[in-house]
Amino acid sequence: MAIGYTHLEHWIPKQAEAEKAMLEEFEKGNYTLQNPLVKYNPYFINPLAAVVLFKTEKATAITVTVKGKTKPADISHTFPKATTHILPILGLYANYNNTVEIKPYRSEGVTIHIEVGDVVPDILEYCDTTPEYFQDNIMILSPSGLFSPCGFDYAGDIRWHLTAMCVFDYKRLRNGNLLIGTDRLLKMPYYMSGLYEMSPVGKIYKEYRIPGGYHHDQFEMEDGNLLVLTEDLRSETVEDMCVLIDRQTGEVLKTWDYKNCLTPGDGAGVSYTDEDWFHNNAVWYDKNTNSLTFSGRHIDSMINIDYETGKLNWIIGDPRNWSEEKQKYFFKPVGNDFEWQYEQHANVITPNGDVMCFDNHHNDTKFEAEKRPAYKSYSRGVRYRIDTDKMEIEQVWQYGRGRGAEFFSPYICNVEYYNEGHYLVHSGGIAYDKDGVPSEALGPYAAMSGGSQYAITCEVYNDKKMYELKVKGNFYRAEKLKLYCDGINLEMGEGKILGYLNDTKEMDTEIPVEACGEMLPEECNARIEDEIDKFTLFSRFVKGDLVMLMLEQGEEVHRYYISTTATPNKAMCCGSFLDTDDRNIRFGVTKTGLSGTYDVRIIINDKKYETGVQIKA
Amino acid sequence: MLKEIAAAEFEELAVKGVVLVDFFSTTCGPCKMLSFVLNDVEKVLGDKVTILKVDFDKNKDLTEKYAVKGYPTLIVLKDGVEVKRMQGLQQKPAIIKALEEQL
Repeated sequence: MAIGYTHLEHWIPKQAEAEKAMLEEFEKGNYTLQNPLVKYNPYFINPLAAVVLFKTEKATAITVTVKGKTKPADISHTFPKATTHILPILGLYANYNNTVEIKPYRSEGVTIHIEVGDVVPDILEYCDTTPEYFQDNIMILSPSGLFSPCGFDYAGDIRWHLTAMCVFDYKRLRNGNLLIGTDRLLKMPYYMSGLYEMSPVGKIYKEYRIPGGYHHDQFEMEDGNLLVLTEDLRSETVEDMCVLIDRQTGEVLKTWDYKNCLTPGDGAGVSYTDEDWFHNNAVWYDKNTNSLTFSGRHIDSMINIDYETGKLNWIIGDPRNWSEEKQKYFFKPVGNDFEWQYEQHANVITPNGDVMCFDNHHNDTKFEAEKRPAYKSYSRGVRYRIDTDKMEIEQVWQYGRGRGAEFFSPYICNVEYYNEGHYLVHSGGIAYDKDGVPSEALGPYAAMSGGSQYAITCEVYNDKKMYELKVKGNFYRAEKLKLYCDGINLEMGEGKILGYLNDTKEMDTEIPVEACGEMLPEECNARIEDEIDKFTLFSRFVKGDLVMLMLEQGEEVHRYYISTTATPNKAMCCGSFLDTDDRNIRFGVTKTGLSGTYDVRIIINDKKYETGVQIKA
Repeated sequence: MLKEIAAAEFEELAVKGVVLVDFFSTTCGPCKMLSFVLNDVEKVLGDKVTILKVDFDKNKDLTEKYAVKGYPTLIVLKDGVEVKRMQGLQQKPAIIKALEEQL
């Protein structure tokens, strides 16, 4: 019997079809303010959203209010004057019969009810703040574990949620849209297909496919173009490149390869591997210095390079284990209470040129023999002031060190700069082992062996804690925003899939076996998920087996080696896709460079098996 | 030449010329794939290099001597001195390039 086969339609055409049907229904009916068309979760991926459609005789502004469980929890927005109203409803509660008021300017409104079921995870531990401080903001946590993205109001209620596992960084663009990682995994644990630009209601306007895949972070430039972290799929290394993407076309305009200014292995930290030598987890463009700052977890350093030339300007980090040649790029600490950061994330350049980051402080050293155990560890948000003339560095602020291991995240996390003295510090990767001891293993591995995961998000203002949210699970970053924006909150029309994916690296060595004519053994539990531009093989193999995926079309053969060696990663960027059984593999192949219909066959040791599946490209 | 050897032979064969040492394990998928790659490398470079395969699990003295912590690990020796190390499965062009740099 053939292995399982599923065709996964891309969200963009699927949403376009649903939107078209919604608009046809709207046009056919006589929907008025008193009798609006209400479409719950019309774009499939936000179960706490709806769209309300109606017409008014006169152009009028409409105010929509999703009534909160308390008055301060109301979420309200006024839409500009129009006669045709297609209004996104954001901030519904789960397990609740929601009340939504729709009120024309200076006229009587109507109230509708939208019943929402049990559609969000129960992960809140506590949310400690005041409505006066937090107002109608939502704290969005992006996933790094089992739970897909959630947004919490001041009371700790989930008011925004995506069922699609869109990972890594969430950023609001200047046009009000969200820019987030896609839910289309290319390869564990490193990279996704690209970025979605979407409305908070869940409509995806664009997918920016990135040739080398997307991971960790992105940054909107002043002209709207996008800096995106990526890599070269054909290279032996990962997470060590950045590209500039044209916002309109998705075309790659400029590329920075960090191997041009650093030597892999130089400055190696405890989590260094030959493949993941840099582990870039953040990018920031600073207009004042026309420079880019990148955070490299596996060199325990933040590097700054010239935007135009790519030339190295400086390195912030412990200078030990770096070559003599690079020592001139390091700063000399001055002032009191200075500490270097280790395995940091999310670098930020403040308006006055200070450098902030989340200092995970994992290991507290660059050397294996000096590692600090997790139960004695701490993480913190930290702000450094640098003098690039004197090459001096001073630590001017920190939060979190005094909390010790309960705030310790050995991976992921972020900080945000709101204003002077006003910061967010998100420790999203806290983990305990099954005995309740702070875990030496990263969160996803701790959870697999019976441990637990937490995320704590804080905001401080002049060193006073104004907000603390604690939830179950690990969450990559936190981003505070209002659900509605001043721009266009929902635009009709089909989205676009831009850019392309590079071809998947093939093995140029042949395994000399003949097809045995047998189907892949059932115990492999194999299936293929086929998409517009890639497909993914899910299967189970015996550890240590020799496995190769073959695409064959007559004489044309493509060979993809599949590793069955289970080695715990020292980083786990896409923990959301980690399988609990390490015999299970998930192997993605892009369709770039393929054309026609291919038979899928799989070699296991000395046999080449049939799958009964064909891939069309 | 491509040959699986034990510690006793190693000293004799590894001290002269360009030698590629492959520390492998019979329980490792990438090592199995690498053995096919090395066959191809030998076909290209012939007698210009010596390829020695060392079973990681049976040759503790050699793994300790070369501080090999995992497999597969490829070490390029020139006249007995380590000049390059590669960890994990490598493709044929990368290995040939590493060896040709020493010829």
